[in-house]
This record gives sequence, C-alpha cells and structure tokens, in this order.
Amino acid sequence: MGREVAESCFDGLIIEMVSAYGRRFYATKPDLASRRIEAIGFQVGHQLIERYTVERPRFSDHLEAIKFICKEFWSELFKKQIDNLKTNHRVGTFVLQDNKFRWFTRVLIDPSSEDNEASQGSSSEATSMLLHFPCGIIRGALSNVGISCAVSADASNLPSCESCILFFALKFSI
Amino acid sequence: MAGTACFIIVSKNDIPIYEAEVGSAAKKEEASQQHQFILHAALDIVEDLAWTTNAMFLKAVDKFNDLSVSVYVTAGHTRFMLLHDSRNEDGIKSFFQEVQELYIKILLNPLYLPSARIASSHFDTKVRALARKYL
Repeated sequence: MGREVAESCFDGLIIEMVSAYGRRFYATKPDLASRRIEAIGFQVGHQLIERYTVERPRFSDHLEAIKFICKEFWSELFKKQIDNLKTNHRVGTFVLQDNKFRWFTRVLIDPSSEDNEASQGSSSEATSMLLHFPCGIIRGALSNVGISCAVSADASNLPSCESCILFFALKFSI
Repeated sequence: MAGTACFIIVSKNDIPIYEAEVGSAAKKEEASQQHQFILHAALDIVEDLAWTTNAMFLKAVDKFNDLSVSVYVTAGHTRFMLLHDSRNEDGIKSFFQEVQELYIKILLNPLYLPSARIASSHFDTKVRALARKYL
C-alpha cells in the first residue's frame, strides 16, 4: 500500500468533487449536495481509520480515540497535528482547532469580480461546502471505532488562507 | 502444520463475512458444521474478553476437546477467529496480521459495503496460501 500521488492532484480532486456536487448534480438543492459530500467523507474516514490502526492496540475510551484522531490520524492526512483540543465533559462536546488547514491553503476566493456583499456570501458558501468533506471523514473514523457523534466545522478569517483557523465541534450522542 | 483449522471473520455487527476451512487434514461434512458451531459459540466469550483488554491478539479464548479458539480483534471491532489444534502461537499471530492486511485492502474498495460478505476468490486463495504458510 505504498504508491504516492502529487498533492496538487488531491487538492484538485477535492475541489472538483465539491463543485461537481454543488453546482452540477444538486445545483438547486445545496443541503442534499452537502449531505452527499459528507457521506463520501464518512466512507473515506471509515476505511482510513481501519488502515491507520493496524499496529496499535484498541482504544479503551472516547478520549483516547479523539487523541488518536488529533495526533496520528491528522498527521497522516494533513502532515501536522491538531493544534488545540478543548472539551466539555459533561455535555460530551469536543472542539478541535487546526490553525493552518492544509486543504484550504490553496483555495482561491475571487473577490474582484463581484461587489462586496455577493462575494462574501459566495465565498463562505464555497468554503462551507468544502468543509463537509473533512467533517465526514472525522465522523466516519469515529463511528468505525464505535463512537457515534455529529461533527460540524467553522472556519474563521478565510480569505487570508495562510492563517485560516478551523474549528471542528464533535457532539456525542450518549 | 495444523491438522484441522477453521477460520471465520465476524464484523462489528456480528455478521460473519468470511468462512473457510484451512486445515490440511481431509474434510468431513459433520466436522465442518461442528467447527462453525464451536466458533459461533465462542463469540460470547470473545465479547467479554475484548472489553477487558487493549490487546488485539487474544490467545486461546476457548477450548473444545483438543481444539482451541484464538481470536484477533481490530480497532473497528472486527473479529478474526481461528479454530485450531496447534500450539504455534507466533505463527497464528503472524497469520492474523497478514490476513488483516488483506482485509484492509478489501475494505478500501469503495464498492465494498461494510458488513457485506467477502466474495472475492482472490482473497480466498490468498487466505488459504497464508494458512498453509503459517499454520
């Protein structure tokens, strides 16, 4: 299992997948498109976690699984670890913060062609579509190790992509 | 080499997704049904044991006459169970690890639905070859 591909191919694939689902297949139904993208991410996460946990012993509790996602899983996918993990034990919510999300460093939001309000709206829409895929990956990975949860993501200060901060919020249904 | 050996893979939802008689002795009809029965009966014990330990390889969880059941549990709670009469634990552990590699390759197939039966004859051939090599 060792063949490698250029990262730009991968970036192109994701961007094209999101735009295909968002603009061509389900152009009039954006939430259906987002659910499909999330489902693709779910299957990918499901398969990837099985592959990345081959050598290590199984997880004894939720926190260990989340820490595995933050460290090893994230470094396999994005070559870095999650920068900050916050939790609210009683409510069963975890917030993962990534300060430089690799897939967005090359996403270009074009602000020049339309007037200010329209471009702001479409840029956040485009990035929220892109966000469904990593949310699906996290949800799929956790569900394969037996933790069912809902994942949502929030991106702040997006146009300056060098420092885009992403928050993934995991809510456990217990 | 083990005389009798029966190998099954049980998925997370307790659905057997693969079964094979991989021993080198001659096959008898009633024996293979009995082997299946023994393995399925051992599933309860495996469930209990799996939650007590972090380890993936659980040696000899159950015995029946002179046959013992060894189990390997993955992170996604998929159980590889082997009914055998040999004492070669290292060989069995390597067998499980190699089968796990093959299983991951099946899983990575986007057209494979989780918990569906593994129908690939290629997988079957490879598992039998590994069994001849390690057991």
